[in-house]
Amino acid sequence: MKMPLDGVRVIDLTAVWAGPFGTRLLGDYGAEVIKVESPRQWDLLRSLGRIPRSETRWFNQAAYFNHNNRSKYGFALDLSGDVGRDLLLKLAGKSDVIIENFRSEVMGNLRLMFEDLRKANPEIIYVSMPGHGKTGPEKDFVSFGSNVEQLSGLVSVSGYPGGEPTKTGISYGDPVAGIALVAAVALALRKRTRTGEGSYVELAQREVLMSFVGEYLVDYSLNEELRELAGNAHPSHAPHGCYRSAGADAWITIVCETDGQFAALCKVIEAPELIDDARFATPTARKTNEDALSPYIEAWTLERGHYEAMYHLQRAGVPAGAVLTIPELMADPQLRYRRAWVEHTHPDAGTWEVEAPPWSLPRTPGHVRFPAPGFGQHNRYVLEELLQLSEREIVNLYAQGVVADEPDQTIHM
Amino acid sequence: MVFALDGVRVLEVGTFVSAPYCGKLFAGYGANVVKVEPPDGDISRAHGPFAGNEPNPETSALYLYLNTGKKSVVLDLGTSDGREAVLHLVRESDIVIENFRPADLRAMGLSYDVLRAVNPRVVLISITAYGQDGPYSDFRFNNLTAFAMGGHMYITGTDDGGPLKNGGYQADYQGGLNAFSAGMLALLAAERDGEGDHVDISQMQCMAPILEGGIPFFAYMGLWMPGRRGNQMSAAIAIYPCIDGQVGVHVMARNWPPFCRAIGRTDLLEDSRFETAADRMANNDELMAELYGWAEGVKKREIYEQAGRERAPIAFVHDMRDLVESPQLAARGSLQRVDHPQAGPAIYAGPPWWIGPSGWEAGRAPLLGEHTIPVLEGSGLEPSLLEAITEEPSP
Repeated sequence: MKMPLDGVRVIDLTAVWAGPFGTRLLGDYGAEVIKVESPRQWDLLRSLGRIPRSETRWFNQAAYFNHNNRSKYGFALDLSGDVGRDLLLKLAGKSDVIIENFRSEVMGNLRLMFEDLRKANPEIIYVSMPGHGKTGPEKDFVSFGSNVEQLSGLVSVSGYPGGEPTKTGISYGDPVAGIALVAAVALALRKRTRTGEGSYVELAQREVLMSFVGEYLVDYSLNEELRELAGNAHPSHAPHGCYRSAGADAWITIVCETDGQFAALCKVIEAPELIDDARFATPTARKTNEDALSPYIEAWTLERGHYEAMYHLQRAGVPAGAVLTIPELMADPQLRYRRAWVEHTHPDAGTWEVEAPPWSLPRTPGHVRFPAPGFGQHNRYVLEELLQLSEREIVNLYAQGVVADEPDQTIHM
Repeated sequence: MVFALDGVRVLEVGTFVSAPYCGKLFAGYGANVVKVEPPDGDISRAHGPFAGNEPNPETSALYLYLNTGKKSVVLDLGTSDGREAVLHLVRESDIVIENFRPADLRAMGLSYDVLRAVNPRVVLISITAYGQDGPYSDFRFNNLTAFAMGGHMYITGTDDGGPLKNGGYQADYQGGLNAFSAGMLALLAAERDGEGDHVDISQMQCMAPILEGGIPFFAYMGLWMPGRRGNQMSAAIAIYPCIDGQVGVHVMARNWPPFCRAIGRTDLLEDSRFETAADRMANNDELMAELYGWAEGVKKREIYEQAGRERAPIAFVHDMRDLVESPQLAARGSLQRVDHPQAGPAIYAGPPWWIGPSGWEAGRAPLLGEHTIPVLEGSGLEPSLLEAITEEPSP
C-alpha cells in the first residue's frame, strides 16, 4: 500500500525524545529514515532502559529507545573528522531531508551548516530543532523539556487556584516539537515540489509551545493583566472538575455546558432537587456556586468506579471522562478497539506491545514498519548500496573507527 | 513571496479550539482558509477573555488568536440552504476541517461519504476526543475530559491536590497540531495520487503514547509508578520558588559541573553525596534541600542569564509579561503586532516554526460574516441561493 512519504529519504542526527519521536512518525508514514549515531556520541536513550550492561547487546534493548526509533535504519558514523563529514555530505546528496537537534554550536563546529549541505544537495531540506532558536541573545542557552514549557508561558498559567505555577507531568515540549516536525517537513516538501527549492526550517521548541497558549498572550497585551490560576475550572461552565471515585487514587472529570446536561447530571446522581435549586438554576448561578455543587457530585462518584460513573453519565448525555493511568490506557476498550497498541518483535529485545502510528489515514496508512535499529545495524546498507563504496574502502572506515558496529560503552554511565 | 501552501483551499467547519488551531496553521503558512460560522458565531467568540474585560463577540482573545488569517462565512448548517452552500464550497476545497462528534456530523448530512461524493479529491480532517469508531466514538467530550482520558491528567499536579489540568486547552491544541501534521501528509498524498482521504484524529490516541517513558517501561518491563510528583520529578528536574518568581532546573548527568558553577556552588562538585547521577538520586532529598535554599536567594532573570553564560539548563517560569518583554522573542520576530478593527492592536505569537526567513503571515481574525458575500459570490453559488442565505431574517 502507498504511504504519504514513500520515496523521501531523511538523515536523522537527532537524539533523545523530541527529534527521534518526530522522525519516527516520518518513518511510520513511509519515509526512509537513516538514524546517524556517532560510535562515541550515541543516543542517550539506549542507556535508559534499565538493562544491565552485562547483557549481550544491552544497548539494543532499551524500550524507551526502541519505541522512539522504530521504522528507522541505523548508521553508526563519526562526524567529527573529515572522512565522516564527507560521507555524510555524500549521503545528503542522495537524501531529501536532514534533521538535527544538537546544541547551538555543534553543526557549525562540524562544518555542516545549511550552506554546507546545500552545496552537496541544492534541494536539501534542512531542519534544526533548537530550544531557543539559532538567533537572538539566548540562542546558546541550554534548555531541556521541562525548561521549554517554563519558557513558553504554559507553566505560568497551570496550577491549582491560589497555588504555585505547576509543571506538566512530562517533558511536554519534546513530543509537541516532534509532532510539529512532521508538518514542518511536509510543508517544506510541498514547497520544494512547487519551486524546486530546498528550505532551511527552524523549529525552536519554546516557540512551538508558546503557540499552545497564544490566547493568554493576546489577552495580556490587550488588558495588561495577569490572570489567576484556575485549576480545573472553566471560565463560564460549571460543574467542570475532577471528582474522587471509588478505589485508590481514582478520579473522574465531569462537565456540564448546558442546562440540559445539568438536569441530566442531577438525575443520574440521584439529586433531582438540585435542578430547581436557585443556586444552580442558571449557568451563571452554577458558576458562582460551583464549590457548593461538588459534595453532591462526589457523594455519588465515591460510590462507584470511574469507568462505571463515566458510562452512567455518558448514557444520560453528560460529558464525563475517567482519569486514566498507564495500565488503564493499555487495557482501555476504546484504544483496544482502535488497535492503538500492537504486538512488536525486536531481534535483540523480544516481543511486547508498542503504540501504533497515532493518525488514521485509511487510504495511505502508516505502520510500525520494522523494529528500531540495533547500533550500526544498517552500516552495510548505507555504505554499499547508497554510497557505493568498495569492500576495501569499507574495511578501511572500520579500521579508522569512522564507522563501527559497537558503541563506545564508557559513556552515558 | 512564496508560501508552502500557496494555492491550497481549506474549508473549516469546526468550532472552539482544536479545528480552529489546525485551520490557523493552514492559513499562516499560506492556504486560503474559509471558516464557516453559525449565525451566532463560533462559541470561542463567547468565551473571552475579552478586550477591556467587556464581553463582545469580536474581541474574545481566544477567537482573535485562533482565527488569524481566515475568512468568515456565516451559514446555518441546520437549514437545507446552508447545507447546500457548504457542499458547494466543499467542491472547490482541498481540505475540510471539522471537530464534531461523528453522530452530530452525520446528523448535519456532512459525513465523509457525502463530501467525497461531491469532491473525491477532498481531504476531510476530523478531530475528536476518541476517533470516528469504537465504543466511545459518540461520547460527549471537551478539553478537560479528553485531557483526563488521554492519560496526561493523572500524572499532573500533586497527590494531595488531585489530578490537574494543564493551563488553557492543551488537549485541544494537541488535537489541532496532530491534525495539521496528519492533514499535511494526506495533502501530499492527495496531490500525488489525485485522491482524498478521511484523516481521523483521536486526541486520546495521540496523547496516550507520549507519557515520557511511561508506556515503554510498563509495556516492556511491567514497571509503573502511581501518583503525581508536583513540581519535582527529582531534585534535578524541578521548579523552585525564587525571590521574584520560580526557577526551573533540568540537570542531566553531564550538566552537573556547569550547573554547580552557574549557581555558585562548586563545593557541591566535591561533595561525595552528589558525585554521580546515581549518588544524586540516592541523596535526592538532601540535594533538593540544597536547591530550595539556593533558589530562595536568587532573582529569576539574573540566574537565567548567569546559567546561559555557563550553559547550564536553568530557566525561569515566564508569565505573559515576561514573554512580551523577552529579548529573545523580540529578536526572533516571535512577538507580532496585529491590528484588529474592534479589538485594536495586540501581540500575537509568531509562527510555531520558520520555513526560510518568511513563509508565515498571520493576518487578523475576521469579523463575524465579514466574507459571506464575497466568498459565496466568488464561488459561483447560484444567485437565488445566495440571496436566500444573505437576506436579513424578517423580524
